Amino acid sequence: MNEEVAMTIETPFRQAAVLPTWPAEPAEPVRPPETDNAVVLRLRNVDAFYGAHRVVRDVSLDITGNAITAIIGPSGSGKSTLLRCMDRMHEVVPHARATGLIEYMGTDLYDARIDPAAVRRSIGMVFQQPNPFPTMSIADNVAAPARFNGLVKSKTASADLVEQCLRRAALWEEVKDKLHHSGASLSGGQQQRLCIARALALAPNVLLMDEPCSALDPVATLQIEQLMTDLRASYTIVIVTHNMQQAARVSDRTAFLTMGDDGAGYLVEEGPTGRIFTQPRERLTEDYISGRFG
Amino acid sequence: MAADYGALLSPTSRGRRFKANLVVALAVVATTFALVPLASVFLFLVTRAAGVLGPDFLLQDPPGDLSAAGGGIRNAITGTLEMTALATFIAAPVGILIAIFDTEVGGRAATGTRFFIDVLVALPSIVVGIFVYSLIVVAQGHFSGFAGSVALAAIMLPVIVVSTEEMLRLIPRPISEGARALGLSRWRTYASVFLPTAVSGIFTGLLLAVSRAIGETAPLLFTALGNNFFSTDMNEPMQGLPLLIYRNALNSAFPAARDRAMGAALVLVLIVLAFNLLGRWLVARRKLSRSTGQ
Repeated sequence: MNEEVAMTIETPFRQAAVLPTWPAEPAEPVRPPETDNAVVLRLRNVDAFYGAHRVVRDVSLDITGNAITAIIGPSGSGKSTLLRCMDRMHEVVPHARATGLIEYMGTDLYDARIDPAAVRRSIGMVFQQPNPFPTMSIADNVAAPARFNGLVKSKTASADLVEQCLRRAALWEEVKDKLHHSGASLSGGQQQRLCIARALALAPNVLLMDEPCSALDPVATLQIEQLMTDLRASYTIVIVTHNMQQAARVSDRTAFLTMGDDGAGYLVEEGPTGRIFTQPRERLTEDYISGRFG
Repeated sequence: MAADYGALLSPTSRGRRFKANLVVALAVVATTFALVPLASVFLFLVTRAAGVLGPDFLLQDPPGDLSAAGGGIRNAITGTLEMTALATFIAAPVGILIAIFDTEVGGRAATGTRFFIDVLVALPSIVVGIFVYSLIVVAQGHFSGFAGSVALAAIMLPVIVVSTEEMLRLIPRPISEGARALGLSRWRTYASVFLPTAVSGIFTGLLLAVSRAIGETAPLLFTALGNNFFSTDMNEPMQGLPLLIYRNALNSAFPAARDRAMGAALVLVLIVLAFNLLGRWLVARRKLSRSTGQ
């Protein structure tokens, strides 16, 4: 089913020139100098389980700062689970646990002294299904989590934050006259950008995106992709996607996971996106990106 | 393909139409069976109570001797409203907190509380009355409206717990995960996200509990006892509509007592009806404002 989505997204991309409401071509993103591309998330021998069932096996991976890393792979390859290990959301599911080392800027995220809520405040997450809080206004969706976490105190500071985050999420112009409307009144693509704005309001360094476009139409998808490209200069972004074209379009590095014979997903290879898609080192990667399986 | 169109256009067979009509007819008959008692009770009350109902009936207290004509049921109306209101103030917060405990904490402790709630649902209301009698009336040495409220609260509690739990379970997983991923504390998630999302359902459950408690007689017999005089003091025996109906109906050999019981019964039914209409109206208004985002 997601493969179908992938196919439909292709079409408007090619017809971009004839779509009048198309977002402007992205300016060449300001790339930080190579030396700044430090490793932000360091994964070593990460296993993830649901009960006794292992779904991710022995993944070691470095996530580079100020870059977009795409995690691709067929269904059941543990992409989302691996992503959810990176902000300790995996363990929210009953009986789920992860082992191995995940370091965020040198700190072990699974250290006993670490508060998972604090991890999730500095590592933001955007989900497959847009999930704005239905009873909150657009402005409150952005400001309330920041307010609850003590990041903003005054009303003016919170209004500033709302504008700043909505601008950064490329949603401000569309909602600035209806900030008090319910977040649920927006379209799917707008809701997803609202969720991105909400995540940005906590000033995270990392943004984890779990198939953020798979519930969206092609135009909304390209708006999100555009947004990701804009955010790359300031954030470290990891995106799980079913859509190989999307990975090829937006990401700097690509990690390819697949499901092993034991039912657990494992990392086949990781590298610069251009190389993965043109000269994969592994046969499995080549088969997958050329559509021979998955 | 052409043959298929023929099949689509041919008329529905007689047997099929007969069966469809039969099912509809059965549904209508069943609905009638359910509605006839309801309508007949209401009509019965209206015709019997028409003679006594009037401003005096609502605004005067009953005569000292219930066989005497005249007077009203003012003390019973205020007593019922007062005791039900206090019972709601006791049962609502406790019930909602128990429901949160069950859904959030889960595990063996929650299984235990759920078992006790199930027992409480099944408990005959007269047993609740006797229990509160021995707990409060005996300890205090006198009957009181307060004891009546506690007994009514015990009747309301399981209804509130069950309906609130049901509503909290209905909260979509993306919403709860979204709150977790923003690093919100548990209590903040409930106070600002879950409870507002579930509020209309929780409110409906609350109304259901009120409707149930407001007509209960048995729990009040040995707690509030009843009072022939007007009193708003919760520390004294208090009159309630069900108690007044019970005492007067027992003496229905006197026409005045019988009429008073009928009138009070109609007033009780109207109060319950008013509560339900008010609740439905509030919920509908909330839903409307949410869907349009105004």
